[in-house]
Amino acid sequence: MSTNEQNREVLGQGVMNVGEGARIFPDVEACIDCGGCVVACKRTWDVGPQEQRISISTMLEGQEADEGFNHRSSQALAEGASPGETSIPMQCYHCENAPCVSVCPVDSLIKKENGFVEVRDDLCIGCQYCLSACPFGAPQFPDSNDGSAQVFGTGGTMDKCTMCEERQHVGKGPACAEECATDAILVGDAAEIADEMEKRGSAPFFNDQAMEIIFGEEAGEFS
Amino acid sequence: MTSLDHGKFTRMTTTFHALLGLDVFILFFTGYGIMFNDELWWLAELMGGTAGVAAVHRVAGAGLIALIVFWIVLMVITPTGRSNFREILLTREDIEAMIQDVKFMLGRADERHPNALQFAGGKADEVPLLTYIGKGVVYIFSVELTLLSISGLLIWSKTGVMEVYATRTAAMAFVVFHGLLGVIMVMGIMFHIFEHGFHPAFYPLEPKAFIPRSMIPEDHSGNGEWGIEKLELSPSWHWVTTVMGVLTVIGIVSFLVGSIFDEGYPVPRELVIGGGPTSLLMTIGINIGVFVLFVGIVLSMYGNVLRVRWEKELAQRQEEGETVAADGGEPSDD
Repeated sequence: MSTNEQNREVLGQGVMNVGEGARIFPDVEACIDCGGCVVACKRTWDVGPQEQRISISTMLEGQEADEGFNHRSSQALAEGASPGETSIPMQCYHCENAPCVSVCPVDSLIKKENGFVEVRDDLCIGCQYCLSACPFGAPQFPDSNDGSAQVFGTGGTMDKCTMCEERQHVGKGPACAEECATDAILVGDAAEIADEMEKRGSAPFFNDQAMEIIFGEEAGEFS
Repeated sequence: MTSLDHGKFTRMTTTFHALLGLDVFILFFTGYGIMFNDELWWLAELMGGTAGVAAVHRVAGAGLIALIVFWIVLMVITPTGRSNFREILLTREDIEAMIQDVKFMLGRADERHPNALQFAGGKADEVPLLTYIGKGVVYIFSVELTLLSISGLLIWSKTGVMEVYATRTAAMAFVVFHGLLGVIMVMGIMFHIFEHGFHPAFYPLEPKAFIPRSMIPEDHSGNGEWGIEKLELSPSWHWVTTVMGVLTVIGIVSFLVGSIFDEGYPVPRELVIGGGPTSLLMTIGINIGVFVLFVGIVLSMYGNVLRVRWEKELAQRQEEGETVAADGGEPSDD
Protein backbone atom coordinates (compact mmCIF):
# COMPACT_ATOMS: atom_id res chain seq x y z
CA MET A 1 0.00 0.00 0.00
CA SER A 2 1.43 3.35 -0.99
CA THR A 3 1.56 6.33 1.30
CA ASN A 4 -1.12 8.07 -0.76
CA GLU A 5 -3.47 5.14 -0.37
CA GLN A 6 -2.86 5.11 3.35
CA ASN A 7 -3.67 8.83 3.48
CA ARG A 8 -6.89 8.29 1.57
CA GLU A 9 -7.93 5.75 4.14
CA VAL A 10 -7.10 8.05 7.00
CA LEU A 11 -8.71 11.26 5.73
CA GLY A 12 -12.42 11.32 5.06
CA GLN A 13 -14.39 13.46 2.63
CA GLY A 14 -15.74 16.82 3.64
CA VAL A 15 -19.31 15.62 3.38
CA MET A 16 -19.74 12.67 5.73
CA ASN A 17 -23.41 12.73 6.54
CA VAL A 18 -26.39 14.81 5.38
CA GLY A 19 -29.99 15.44 6.36
CA GLU A 20 -31.49 15.68 9.82
CA GLY A 21 -28.97 16.58 12.52
CA ALA A 22 -26.19 17.37 10.05
CA ARG A 23 -23.82 20.18 11.06
CA ILE A 24 -21.45 22.28 8.96
CA PHE A 25 -18.06 23.42 10.21
CA PRO A 26 -14.81 24.76 8.71
CA ASP A 27 -11.39 23.14 8.93
CA VAL A 28 -9.31 26.30 8.59
CA GLU A 29 -6.04 24.36 8.19
CA ALA A 30 -7.41 22.92 4.93
CA CYS A 31 -8.81 26.14 3.45
CA ILE A 32 -6.66 27.60 0.70
CA ASP A 33 -8.85 30.62 -0.05
CA CYS A 34 -9.61 29.47 -3.59
CA GLY A 35 -13.16 30.80 -3.57
CA GLY A 36 -14.62 27.58 -4.94
CA CYS A 37 -17.24 27.46 -2.20
CA VAL A 38 -18.39 31.01 -2.97
CA VAL A 39 -18.72 30.26 -6.67
CA ALA A 40 -20.54 26.98 -6.02
CA CYS A 41 -23.02 28.67 -3.72
CA LYS A 42 -23.70 31.55 -6.08
CA ARG A 43 -24.09 29.20 -9.03
CA THR A 44 -26.38 26.80 -7.20
CA TRP A 45 -28.69 29.39 -5.66
CA ASP A 46 -28.33 32.20 -8.18
CA VAL A 47 -27.02 34.56 -5.50
CA GLY A 48 -26.58 38.06 -6.88
CA PRO A 49 -23.41 40.12 -7.04
CA GLN A 50 -24.32 42.16 -3.96
CA GLU A 51 -24.36 39.18 -1.66
CA GLN A 52 -22.38 36.16 -0.52
CA ARG A 53 -24.05 33.48 1.55
CA ILE A 54 -20.59 32.12 2.23
CA SER A 55 -17.44 34.19 2.24
CA ILE A 56 -13.83 33.48 3.07
CA SER A 57 -12.37 35.72 5.73
CA THR A 58 -8.59 35.85 5.51
CA MET A 59 -6.66 37.21 8.47
CA LEU A 60 -3.01 38.25 8.66
CA GLU A 61 -2.79 38.03 4.90
CA GLY A 62 0.74 37.47 3.61
CA GLN A 63 2.18 37.01 7.08
CA GLU A 64 4.12 34.00 8.25
CA ALA A 65 3.11 32.18 11.36
CA ASP A 66 5.36 32.01 14.37
CA GLU A 67 7.78 29.15 14.15
CA GLY A 68 6.13 25.76 14.48
CA PHE A 69 2.57 27.07 14.04
CA ASN A 70 2.30 27.24 10.26
CA HIS A 71 -0.29 24.47 10.10
CA ARG A 72 -1.62 24.82 13.63
CA SER A 73 -3.59 28.07 13.65
CA SER A 74 -5.85 27.07 16.52
CA GLN A 75 -2.96 26.09 18.77
CA ALA A 76 -1.21 29.33 17.85
CA LEU A 77 -4.20 31.35 19.05
CA ALA A 78 -4.46 29.24 22.20
CA GLU A 79 -0.82 29.85 23.01
CA GLY A 80 -0.81 33.52 22.12
CA ALA A 81 1.37 33.04 19.04
CA SER A 82 0.69 34.41 15.56
CA PRO A 83 -1.12 31.86 13.35
CA GLY A 84 0.01 33.67 10.21
CA GLU A 85 -2.23 33.90 7.16
CA THR A 86 -5.40 31.97 7.94
CA SER A 87 -8.54 31.63 5.85
CA ILE A 88 -11.91 30.84 7.42
CA PRO A 89 -14.98 29.91 5.36
CA MET A 90 -17.68 31.96 7.12
CA GLN A 91 -21.32 31.07 6.69
CA CYS A 92 -24.36 30.15 8.77
CA TYR A 93 -23.35 27.24 11.00
CA HIS A 94 -26.99 26.50 11.91
CA CYS A 95 -26.12 26.89 15.56
CA GLU A 96 -27.61 24.78 18.31
CA ASN A 97 -28.00 27.90 20.46
CA ALA A 98 -28.62 30.27 17.57
CA PRO A 99 -28.43 33.86 18.85
CA CYS A 100 -30.21 35.12 15.74
CA VAL A 101 -33.26 33.00 16.60
CA SER A 102 -33.02 34.25 20.14
CA VAL A 103 -33.26 37.94 19.29
CA CYS A 104 -35.61 37.87 16.28
CA PRO A 105 -38.61 39.99 17.38
CA VAL A 106 -41.03 38.57 14.82
CA ASP A 107 -40.09 34.86 14.98
CA SER A 108 -38.94 35.04 11.38
CA LEU A 109 -35.90 32.94 12.31
CA ILE A 110 -36.56 29.47 13.65
CA LYS A 111 -34.45 26.50 14.67
CA LYS A 112 -36.27 23.61 13.04
CA GLU A 113 -36.56 20.15 14.54
CA ASN A 114 -34.29 18.76 11.84
CA GLY A 115 -31.54 21.14 12.99
CA PHE A 116 -31.65 23.71 10.20
CA VAL A 117 -31.96 27.40 11.06
CA GLU A 118 -34.43 28.92 8.62
CA VAL A 119 -35.42 32.50 7.86
CA ARG A 120 -39.08 32.88 6.91
CA ASP A 121 -39.00 35.66 4.35
CA ASP A 122 -42.63 36.67 4.71
CA LEU A 123 -42.16 37.48 8.41
CA CYS A 124 -38.81 39.28 8.30
CA ILE A 125 -39.07 43.04 8.91
CA GLY A 126 -35.40 43.79 8.30
CA CYS A 127 -34.67 45.04 11.82
CA GLN A 128 -31.16 43.54 11.67
CA TYR A 129 -31.13 42.35 15.28
CA CYS A 130 -29.86 39.03 13.92
CA LEU A 131 -26.93 40.86 12.33
CA SER A 132 -25.98 42.23 15.71
CA ALA A 133 -26.44 38.91 17.46
CA CYS A 134 -24.65 36.55 15.03
CA PRO A 135 -20.94 36.14 15.86
CA PHE A 136 -20.20 34.79 12.37
CA GLY A 137 -21.63 37.49 10.12
CA ALA A 138 -24.06 35.09 8.50
CA PRO A 139 -27.12 37.36 8.07
CA GLN A 140 -27.02 39.20 4.76
CA PHE A 141 -29.23 42.06 3.64
CA PRO A 142 -29.01 42.20 -0.14
CA ASP A 143 -31.90 44.67 -0.40
CA SER A 144 -30.51 47.09 2.17
CA ASN A 145 -29.55 49.60 -0.51
CA ASP A 146 -32.94 49.57 -2.20
CA GLY A 147 -35.55 52.29 -1.80
CA SER A 148 -37.06 52.72 1.63
CA ALA A 149 -34.70 50.17 3.20
CA GLN A 150 -31.78 52.46 2.44
CA VAL A 151 -33.59 55.60 3.63
CA PHE A 152 -34.75 54.13 6.94
CA GLY A 153 -31.90 51.65 7.47
CA THR A 154 -34.30 48.76 7.80
CA GLY A 155 -32.21 46.34 5.70
CA GLY A 156 -34.97 44.70 3.67
CA THR A 157 -35.40 40.94 4.03
CA MET A 158 -32.58 38.93 5.58
CA ASP A 159 -30.93 36.20 3.55
CA LYS A 160 -28.36 33.64 4.62
CA CYS A 161 -26.83 30.24 3.94
CA THR A 162 -29.46 27.51 4.07
CA MET A 163 -26.86 24.69 4.30
CA CYS A 164 -28.52 23.59 1.04
CA GLU A 165 -31.41 22.00 2.92
CA GLU A 166 -33.18 21.02 -0.31
CA ARG A 167 -30.06 19.29 -1.60
CA GLN A 168 -29.64 17.47 1.69
CA HIS A 169 -33.22 16.23 1.53
CA VAL A 170 -32.24 14.27 -1.59
CA GLY A 171 -28.98 12.99 -0.14
CA LYS A 172 -26.58 15.58 -1.56
CA GLY A 173 -24.17 17.66 0.45
CA PRO A 174 -24.16 21.46 0.54
CA ALA A 175 -22.83 22.88 -2.73
CA CYS A 176 -19.93 24.65 -1.00
CA ALA A 177 -18.75 21.50 0.76
CA GLU A 178 -19.16 19.31 -2.32
CA GLU A 179 -17.16 21.80 -4.39
CA CYS A 180 -14.33 22.35 -1.90
CA ALA A 181 -11.14 20.96 -3.42
CA THR A 182 -9.44 20.52 -0.05
CA ASP A 183 -12.46 19.33 1.95
CA ALA A 184 -12.17 22.32 4.23
CA ILE A 185 -15.93 22.43 4.85
CA LEU A 186 -16.99 19.48 6.97
CA VAL A 187 -20.58 18.24 7.01
CA GLY A 188 -21.86 15.57 9.39
CA ASP A 189 -22.89 15.21 12.99
CA ALA A 190 -20.76 16.78 15.71
CA ALA A 191 -18.97 13.53 16.54
CA GLU A 192 -18.10 12.83 12.89
CA ILE A 193 -16.72 16.36 12.42
CA ALA A 194 -14.69 16.13 15.63
CA ASP A 195 -13.27 12.71 14.63
CA GLU A 196 -12.36 13.92 11.16
CA MET A 197 -10.56 16.97 12.52
CA GLU A 198 -8.71 14.80 14.99
CA LYS A 199 -7.56 12.52 12.17
CA ARG A 200 -6.29 15.55 10.30
CA GLY A 201 -4.53 16.96 13.33
CA SER A 202 -6.72 20.06 13.14
CA ALA A 203 -8.57 21.82 15.91
CA PRO A 204 -11.53 24.20 15.93
CA PHE A 205 -10.48 27.75 15.17
CA PHE A 206 -13.27 29.25 17.29
CA ASN A 207 -13.15 29.91 21.02
CA ASP A 208 -15.14 27.97 23.61
CA GLN A 209 -18.00 30.50 23.65
CA ALA A 210 -18.47 30.26 19.88
CA MET A 211 -18.22 26.45 20.00
CA GLU A 212 -20.93 26.35 22.65
CA ILE A 213 -23.14 28.55 20.45
CA ILE A 214 -22.62 26.32 17.41
CA PHE A 215 -22.74 22.86 18.96
CA GLY A 216 -24.40 23.37 22.33
CA GLU A 217 -23.73 20.45 24.64
CA GLU A 218 -22.00 18.59 21.80
CA ALA A 219 -19.14 21.13 21.89
CA GLY A 220 -17.54 18.66 24.31
CA GLU A 221 -16.86 16.31 21.35
CA PHE A 222 -14.04 18.66 20.33
CA SER A 223 -12.25 18.70 23.69
CA MET B 1 -66.78 75.51 31.44
CA THR B 2 -66.53 75.63 35.20
CA SER B 3 -63.88 76.86 37.55
CA LEU B 4 -62.78 73.24 37.79
CA ASP B 5 -61.51 73.54 34.23
CA HIS B 6 -58.76 75.78 35.48
CA GLY B 7 -56.12 76.65 32.96
CA LYS B 8 -52.98 74.65 33.48
CA PHE B 9 -50.89 74.66 30.30
CA THR B 10 -49.85 77.23 27.74
CA ARG B 11 -50.93 76.89 24.12
CA MET B 12 -47.46 75.65 23.26
CA THR B 13 -47.66 72.94 25.91
CA THR B 14 -51.07 71.75 24.78
CA THR B 15 -49.88 71.59 21.15
CA PHE B 16 -46.74 69.75 22.22
CA HIS B 17 -48.76 67.33 24.34
CA ALA B 18 -51.04 66.50 21.41
CA LEU B 19 -48.10 65.97 19.02
CA LEU B 20 -46.15 63.93 21.57
CA GLY B 21 -49.22 61.81 22.26
CA LEU B 22 -49.80 61.13 18.56
CA ASP B 23 -46.14 60.26 18.01
CA VAL B 24 -45.96 57.96 21.03
CA PHE B 25 -49.15 56.18 19.96
CA ILE B 26 -47.64 55.53 16.52
CA LEU B 27 -44.49 54.22 18.23
CA PHE B 28 -46.60 51.95 20.42
CA PHE B 29 -48.75 50.61 17.59
CA THR B 30 -45.70 49.83 15.44
CA GLY B 31 -43.51 48.66 18.31
CA TYR B 32 -46.07 46.28 19.77
CA GLY B 33 -47.07 45.15 16.30
CA ILE B 34 -43.47 43.95 16.10
CA MET B 35 -43.09 42.70 19.67
CA PHE B 36 -46.36 40.80 19.82
CA ASN B 37 -46.32 39.92 16.14
CA ASP B 38 -48.35 36.75 16.66
CA GLU B 39 -51.05 38.28 18.88
CA LEU B 40 -51.14 41.60 17.00
CA TRP B 41 -50.43 40.46 13.43
CA TRP B 42 -53.30 42.62 12.19
CA LEU B 43 -51.76 45.71 13.80
CA ALA B 44 -48.38 45.10 12.16
CA GLU B 45 -50.17 44.75 8.82
CA LEU B 46 -52.09 47.99 9.40
CA MET B 47 -48.91 49.84 10.34
CA GLY B 48 -47.06 49.07 7.13
CA GLY B 49 -46.72 45.30 7.01
CA THR B 50 -43.42 43.48 7.28
CA ALA B 51 -41.82 45.79 4.73
CA GLY B 52 -42.95 49.04 6.33
CA VAL B 53 -43.65 48.61 10.03
CA ALA B 54 -40.02 49.08 11.07
CA ALA B 55 -39.68 52.11 8.80
CA VAL B 56 -42.81 53.73 10.29
CA HIS B 57 -41.45 52.99 13.78
CA ARG B 58 -38.15 54.65 12.93
CA VAL B 59 -39.79 57.70 11.37
CA ALA B 60 -41.90 58.11 14.51
CA GLY B 61 -38.73 57.61 16.58
CA ALA B 62 -37.02 60.39 14.67
CA GLY B 63 -40.12 62.51 15.27
CA LEU B 64 -39.93 61.80 18.99
CA ILE B 65 -36.29 62.88 19.15
CA ALA B 66 -37.13 66.05 17.22
CA LEU B 67 -39.94 66.81 19.69
CA ILE B 68 -37.65 66.20 22.67
CA VAL B 69 -34.92 68.46 21.29
CA PHE B 70 -37.50 71.16 20.45
CA TRP B 71 -38.91 70.98 23.97
CA ILE B 72 -35.51 71.17 25.66
CA VAL B 73 -34.60 74.24 23.59
CA LEU B 74 -37.95 75.83 24.42
CA MET B 75 -37.46 75.19 28.13
CA VAL B 76 -34.07 76.88 28.02
CA ILE B 77 -34.70 79.93 25.82
CA THR B 78 -38.15 81.11 26.94
CA PRO B 79 -39.04 82.70 30.30
CA THR B 80 -42.19 80.55 30.49
CA GLY B 81 -40.09 77.47 29.84
CA ARG B 82 -37.67 78.36 32.60
CA SER B 83 -40.53 79.04 35.01
CA ASN B 84 -42.13 75.72 34.02
CA PHE B 85 -38.85 74.04 34.83
CA ARG B 86 -39.08 75.51 38.34
CA GLU B 87 -42.68 74.31 38.54
CA ILE B 88 -41.73 70.66 38.06
CA LEU B 89 -39.01 70.58 40.69
CA LEU B 90 -39.91 68.38 43.64
CA THR B 91 -40.36 70.35 46.86
CA ARG B 92 -40.62 69.55 50.55
CA GLU B 93 -44.37 70.14 50.28
CA ASP B 94 -44.62 67.38 47.68
CA ILE B 95 -43.04 64.91 50.10
CA GLU B 96 -45.46 66.09 52.79
CA ALA B 97 -48.34 65.67 50.31
CA MET B 98 -47.28 62.09 49.60
CA ILE B 99 -47.18 61.28 53.30
CA GLN B 100 -50.50 63.04 53.92
CA ASP B 101 -52.11 61.12 51.05
CA VAL B 102 -51.10 57.84 52.65
CA LYS B 103 -52.55 59.03 55.95
CA PHE B 104 -55.70 60.20 54.09
CA MET B 105 -56.12 56.74 52.57
CA LEU B 106 -55.73 55.19 56.01
CA GLY B 107 -58.31 57.57 57.45
CA ARG B 108 -55.77 59.42 59.62
CA ALA B 109 -56.01 62.77 57.81
CA ASP B 110 -59.12 64.87 57.23
CA GLU B 111 -58.11 66.30 53.86
CA ARG B 112 -55.52 66.08 51.15
CA HIS B 113 -52.51 68.35 51.04
CA PRO B 114 -52.69 71.35 48.60
CA ASN B 115 -49.82 69.76 46.64
CA ALA B 116 -52.09 66.78 45.94
CA LEU B 117 -55.03 68.88 44.73
CA GLN B 118 -55.63 69.35 41.03
CA PHE B 119 -58.77 71.44 41.06
CA ALA B 120 -59.83 72.08 44.59
CA GLY B 121 -60.93 75.59 43.86
CA GLY B 122 -58.08 76.72 46.06
CA LYS B 123 -56.25 79.95 45.49
CA ALA B 124 -53.43 79.95 42.98
CA ASP B 125 -50.81 80.65 45.60
CA GLU B 126 -51.90 77.64 47.67
CA VAL B 127 -52.34 75.08 44.94
CA PRO B 128 -49.25 74.55 42.75
CA LEU B 129 -49.41 74.18 38.96
CA LEU B 130 -48.57 70.49 39.24
CA THR B 131 -49.41 68.07 42.00
CA TYR B 132 -46.71 65.70 43.17
CA ILE B 133 -48.45 63.07 41.03
CA GLY B 134 -48.29 65.36 37.99
CA LYS B 135 -44.60 65.95 38.62
CA GLY B 136 -44.10 62.19 38.89
CA VAL B 137 -45.78 61.71 35.50
CA VAL B 138 -43.45 64.32 33.95
CA TYR B 139 -40.37 62.70 35.54
CA ILE B 140 -41.31 59.12 34.68
CA PHE B 141 -42.27 59.86 31.06
CA SER B 142 -39.18 62.04 30.55
CA VAL B 143 -36.80 59.35 31.82
CA GLU B 144 -38.58 56.60 29.88
CA LEU B 145 -38.65 58.54 26.60
CA THR B 146 -34.99 59.53 26.97
CA LEU B 147 -33.84 55.96 27.62
CA LEU B 148 -36.07 54.58 24.86
CA SER B 149 -34.67 57.15 22.41
CA ILE B 150 -31.06 56.38 23.31
CA SER B 151 -31.50 52.60 23.15
CA GLY B 152 -33.54 52.94 19.97
CA LEU B 153 -30.79 54.98 18.30
CA LEU B 154 -28.18 52.42 19.34
CA ILE B 155 -30.29 49.62 17.88
CA TRP B 156 -30.85 51.64 14.70
CA SER B 157 -27.16 52.38 14.20
CA LYS B 158 -25.30 49.18 13.46
CA THR B 159 -21.94 50.90 13.26
CA GLY B 160 -22.16 53.63 15.87
CA VAL B 161 -21.20 51.50 18.83
CA MET B 162 -19.92 48.45 17.00
CA GLU B 163 -17.00 47.89 19.35
CA VAL B 164 -19.24 47.31 22.33
CA TYR B 165 -22.43 46.37 20.51
CA ALA B 166 -21.18 43.58 18.26
CA THR B 167 -21.37 40.97 20.94
CA ARG B 168 -24.19 38.58 21.57
CA THR B 169 -24.60 39.81 25.13
CA ALA B 170 -24.77 43.46 24.11
CA ALA B 171 -27.23 42.76 21.29
CA MET B 172 -29.51 40.87 23.65
CA ALA B 173 -29.12 43.52 26.34
CA PHE B 174 -30.25 46.30 23.96
CA VAL B 175 -33.19 44.25 22.74
CA VAL B 176 -34.33 43.35 26.24
CA PHE B 177 -33.83 46.88 27.57
CA HIS B 178 -35.66 48.65 24.74
CA GLY B 179 -38.49 46.11 24.68
CA LEU B 180 -39.11 45.88 28.39
CA LEU B 181 -38.81 49.63 28.92
CA GLY B 182 -41.46 50.04 26.23
CA VAL B 183 -43.71 47.66 28.12
CA ILE B 184 -43.17 49.58 31.36
CA MET B 185 -44.06 52.79 29.57
CA VAL B 186 -47.17 51.43 27.88
CA MET B 187 -48.48 50.32 31.26
CA GLY B 188 -48.05 53.90 32.49
CA ILE B 189 -49.73 55.29 29.39
CA MET B 190 -52.73 52.99 29.84
CA PHE B 191 -53.09 54.24 33.40
CA HIS B 192 -52.64 57.85 32.16
CA ILE B 193 -55.47 57.35 29.66
CA PHE B 194 -57.76 55.95 32.32
CA GLU B 195 -56.80 58.59 34.88
CA HIS B 196 -57.51 61.57 32.61
CA GLY B 197 -60.39 60.16 30.62
CA PHE B 198 -62.65 58.89 33.36
CA HIS B 199 -62.55 61.41 36.17
CA PRO B 200 -66.17 62.00 37.25
CA ALA B 201 -65.83 65.78 36.98
CA PHE B 202 -64.39 65.74 33.47
CA TYR B 203 -65.59 62.52 31.83
CA PRO B 204 -64.98 61.70 29.00
CA LEU B 205 -61.82 63.85 28.99
CA GLU B 206 -59.94 66.31 31.18
CA PRO B 207 -59.50 69.29 28.86
CA LYS B 208 -56.65 70.89 30.80
CA ALA B 209 -54.01 69.35 28.53
CA PHE B 210 -55.86 70.38 25.38
CA ILE B 211 -57.34 73.82 26.08
CA PRO B 212 -54.66 76.42 26.89
CA ARG B 213 -55.04 78.50 30.01
CA SER B 214 -55.28 81.66 27.88
CA MET B 215 -58.70 80.44 26.75
CA ILE B 216 -60.08 79.56 30.18
CA PRO B 217 -62.24 82.30 31.73
CA GLU B 218 -61.44 83.00 35.36
CA ASP B 219 -64.18 83.97 37.74
CA HIS B 220 -63.31 85.73 40.95
CA SER B 221 -66.80 87.12 41.56
CA GLY B 222 -67.57 84.45 44.10
CA ASN B 223 -71.16 84.18 42.89
CA GLY B 224 -70.72 80.47 42.17
CA GLU B 225 -71.75 80.89 38.59
CA TRP B 226 -68.81 78.73 37.52
CA GLY B 227 -68.80 76.39 40.50
CA ILE B 228 -69.05 72.65 41.05
CA GLU B 229 -72.82 72.88 41.42
CA LYS B 230 -73.01 73.38 37.66
CA LEU B 231 -71.64 69.88 37.11
CA GLU B 232 -73.78 66.87 36.43
CA LEU B 233 -72.41 63.35 36.54
CA SER B 234 -72.89 61.78 33.13
CA PRO B 235 -75.38 58.90 33.28
CA SER B 236 -72.95 56.65 31.40
CA TRP B 237 -69.96 57.40 33.65
CA HIS B 238 -70.51 54.50 36.07
CA TRP B 239 -70.65 51.64 33.62
CA VAL B 240 -68.18 53.08 31.10
CA THR B 241 -65.62 53.73 33.82
CA THR B 242 -66.10 50.27 35.27
CA VAL B 243 -65.67 48.64 31.87
CA MET B 244 -62.65 50.79 30.98
CA GLY B 245 -61.11 50.18 34.39
CA VAL B 246 -61.38 46.43 33.89
CA LEU B 247 -60.03 46.66 30.33
CA THR B 248 -57.12 48.83 31.51
CA VAL B 249 -56.17 46.34 34.21
CA ILE B 250 -56.47 43.40 31.77
CA GLY B 251 -54.40 45.30 29.20
CA ILE B 252 -51.65 46.21 31.66
CA VAL B 253 -51.42 42.69 33.08
CA SER B 254 -51.50 41.07 29.62
CA PHE B 255 -48.74 43.28 28.25
CA LEU B 256 -46.59 42.59 31.31
CA VAL B 257 -47.16 38.83 31.28
CA GLY B 258 -46.87 38.65 27.48
CA SER B 259 -43.53 40.46 27.51
CA ILE B 260 -42.14 37.97 30.02
CA PHE B 261 -43.51 34.80 28.46
CA ASP B 262 -43.35 35.65 24.76
CA GLU B 263 -40.26 33.76 23.64
CA GLY B 264 -37.69 35.53 21.50
CA TYR B 265 -38.55 39.17 22.09
CA PRO B 266 -38.03 41.16 24.16
CA VAL B 267 -36.67 38.37 26.31
CA PRO B 268 -34.18 36.13 24.48
CA ARG B 269 -34.87 32.41 24.39
CA GLU B 270 -32.18 31.63 26.97
CA LEU B 271 -33.68 34.00 29.51
CA VAL B 272 -37.37 33.46 28.91
CA ILE B 273 -39.45 32.20 31.81
CA GLY B 274 -42.31 30.60 29.92
CA GLY B 275 -41.88 30.58 26.18
CA GLY B 276 -43.76 28.60 23.61
CA PRO B 277 -46.86 29.65 21.74
CA THR B 278 -49.07 32.18 23.44
CA SER B 279 -52.50 31.16 24.58
CA LEU B 280 -55.83 32.45 23.34
CA LEU B 281 -56.35 34.30 26.62
CA MET B 282 -53.03 36.10 26.22
CA THR B 283 -53.94 37.06 22.66
CA ILE B 284 -57.29 38.47 23.82
CA GLY B 285 -55.64 40.30 26.74
CA ILE B 286 -52.96 41.94 24.60
CA ASN B 287 -55.56 42.99 22.05
CA ILE B 288 -57.60 44.51 24.90
CA GLY B 289 -54.48 46.46 25.87
CA VAL B 290 -54.21 47.81 22.34
CA PHE B 291 -57.91 48.72 22.48
CA VAL B 292 -57.20 50.82 25.59
CA LEU B 293 -54.41 52.57 23.67
CA PHE B 294 -56.81 53.09 20.77
CA VAL B 295 -59.30 54.72 23.18
CA GLY B 296 -56.41 56.93 24.26
CA ILE B 297 -55.64 58.19 20.77
CA VAL B 298 -59.36 58.79 20.14
CA LEU B 299 -59.62 60.79 23.39
CA SER B 300 -56.53 62.75 22.41
CA MET B 301 -58.15 63.66 19.11
CA TYR B 302 -61.38 64.50 20.97
CA GLY B 303 -59.39 66.88 23.18
CA ASN B 304 -58.30 68.78 20.11
CA VAL B 305 -61.90 68.82 18.86
CA LEU B 306 -62.97 70.29 22.21
CA ARG B 307 -60.42 73.07 21.85
CA VAL B 308 -61.60 73.92 18.35
CA ARG B 309 -65.23 73.98 19.50
CA TRP B 310 -64.36 76.19 22.46
CA GLU B 311 -62.41 78.55 20.22
CA LYS B 312 -65.49 78.85 17.99
CA GLU B 313 -67.72 79.47 20.99
CA LEU B 314 -65.42 82.19 22.30
CA ALA B 315 -65.37 83.82 18.86
CA GLN B 316 -69.15 83.64 18.72
CA ARG B 317 -69.49 85.23 22.17
CA GLN B 318 -67.12 87.98 21.16
CA GLU B 319 -69.25 88.67 18.11
CA GLU B 320 -72.33 88.82 20.28
CA GLY B 321 -70.59 91.30 22.58
CA GLU B 322 -70.26 88.97 25.55
CA THR B 323 -66.84 90.27 26.43
CA VAL B 324 -65.54 88.85 29.67
CA ALA B 325 -62.52 90.48 31.26
CA ALA B 326 -59.67 88.39 32.57
CA ASP B 327 -60.85 89.07 36.11
CA GLY B 328 -64.36 87.99 35.31
CA GLY B 329 -65.71 91.54 35.23
CA GLU B 330 -68.18 92.91 32.73
CA PRO B 331 -67.75 96.11 30.73
CA SER B 332 -70.83 97.46 32.54
CA ASP B 333 -69.03 97.22 35.88
CA ASP B 334 -66.80 100.18 34.98
